[in-house]
Formats: sequence, structure tokens, C-alpha cells
Amino acid sequence: MSSGAREFQVPEPVYLSLAGLGAAAKRGLGDPALAELVMVRASQLNHCAFCLDMHLTAARKGGESQERLDLVAAWEESGDTFTGRERAALALTEAVTVLTEGFVPDEVYGRAAEHFTETQLAHLIAAIAVINSWNRLMVTRRTAPGETEWHS
Amino acid sequence: MTTNESKNHAPEHTPRLQWAKAAPEVYKAMIKLSAAAEQGLDPTIAELVKIRASQLNHCALCLDMHTKDALAAGETVERIIQLNAWEESRHFYTEKELAALELTEAITVLTEGFVPDAVYAKAAEQFEEAELAHLIAAITVINAWNRFGVTTRGVPGHYTPGMYK
Repeated sequence: MSSGAREFQVPEPVYLSLAGLGAAAKRGLGDPALAELVMVRASQLNHCAFCLDMHLTAARKGGESQERLDLVAAWEESGDTFTGRERAALALTEAVTVLTEGFVPDEVYGRAAEHFTETQLAHLIAAIAVINSWNRLMVTRRTAPGETEWHS
Repeated sequence: MTTNESKNHAPEHTPRLQWAKAAPEVYKAMIKLSAAAEQGLDPTIAELVKIRASQLNHCALCLDMHTKDALAAGETVERIIQLNAWEESRHFYTEKELAALELTEAITVLTEGFVPDAVYAKAAEQFEEAELAHLIAAITVINAWNRFGVTTRGVPGHYTPGMYK
């Protein structure tokens, strides 16, 4: 799978500060199950195999149902599988992840602002930014699912 | 603001959210992460990368900041202007800068595909391993700042180099 040509290690200070940032984001959001759904959806959009493996595993361990994880890629068409709050967070995740195709629409932001307090929303945005960061590091490195030797 | 005082420009928007105030720990962690990412990375290349990623992600606040920082550090207006079409203005940049810009685009536009082997290999030729790792980290981190800036609609035009130091 790996071409073997991508052997850079994520520098330890980068890894540690990104992990700290992620912990702060999750703490402020205060909803670990929702955080995992966000991590899974962003990792799907960014095609990060390592991150998908990690967050699908974490979600299942946290008690998330396999049916919801199967459907998160098509949450918009999944009826009432996801709550209004989760749907608002997933819509925001998609908009914030696919920035190169446009801005974050007022409607998407507005719906998120209805479901989350300002503090929660700031931390939700942070959680989306953090998983996008992990996705970038791991995709660029072509880190295989389950690999443990990716940082110095 | 100077840009719209006399020219009938559209009114300035307001930010959606003061995220650094709503999440001060997150903001502090971002500053720490930024510093860690850029350790040992050529500062001229770091600014070019930050401007290019901010163009791709349409982050007005980040463009305001990083074009001004680049100019303050001695970057030329011409190289900043040409950045949006660097593939057709290669003679403005070194091979090392070009490899960094190409990698920046691949890592920024992840939703359309992976980072191609050729793009990665070119960067790996121009950068030794530790600097390459920090270049990749710096591209990742400006992408994170872009996400905060765009999502919260940060307002461009008010940045002065050095104001956050």
C-alpha cells in the first residue's frame, strides 16, 4: 500500500500541540459522541484511511451504533437517524471542510448557531479544524490504518 | 477603514463569532501549534505557502495578514501578485519555492484527491526530511487558521504586521 517514499515523521512538538488543541476543542464542545461523528465525516470527505479507522473504532467503543456509522456519509438522506443538532453539526463539518469550493453559507452557519451556544460552536469549529489538520498530515504521509510509527 | 472611506465601497461586514474569546484555550493552542509547525522552515517560503493556501481557501482575513507580513519581511509585490498563477510565472520563484507551492495546493485541496506521488517526490527532492515535515505541518496549520477565519467571517483590513507579537 504505502509507496515507501513518504517517510517523514510528524515532528513531536507538532503532534503534541495538535493533540492538545484537539483535547481543548473536545472539552469545550462537551459531546464526545457528536465529536466522533464530526471526525468520521470530515475524514470521509478528505479520504483519510488512518483517521477513519481510528474514529470509527473510537465511535463504536463509545457506544455509537453501527447503523448510524454506516449512514453518516449520507446523513442528509437518512431520515431521523440523526438529530437536528447532529445534522446541523454535520452540515457545518462539510462546509468547513470543503472551503476550496466556496464559503460557509449563512444558512449552514445559522442552523448550527441555533443548536449550539457560542462557546460550543467555537469549539465545534475548532474540532472540525483539528480533524482537517490530522487528515492533512496523515493523507500526505500515506499513513496506513493502525500504523503507530508516524511521529518522532 | 482606508479601503472604503472615499470610494463608495460596500459596507464592512461583522464577524459571525469572536472565536478566540469564546474558546481562549483553543486560540492559545493554535498559537503554540503554529510556532511548532514553522520551526526551522524558511520564513520566505512559509509566507508564500500561507498566502497561497489562504487564496485557495478564500480566507480574506488570512490574506490581509500574510500579504502584509510578507511585504514587511521584504517580499516583493510582484511575487505576491503572481502567486495566484505561479504555474505560469515560474521564473519568479526558486525550484524549492515551486515545489512547496505545488505541495501546498495538493494538501489544501484534499477533497478532490490524494497528494500525488510526483508532487510529494518533488518536494522531497528540494527539502531535507526535517524541513519537509515542518513544511507539511505549516501547510496543515494555515489550513486550520483559514477554517477559523472563513467560518467566523473574520474581517480583513485591520491587520498591522507585528500586532500579535
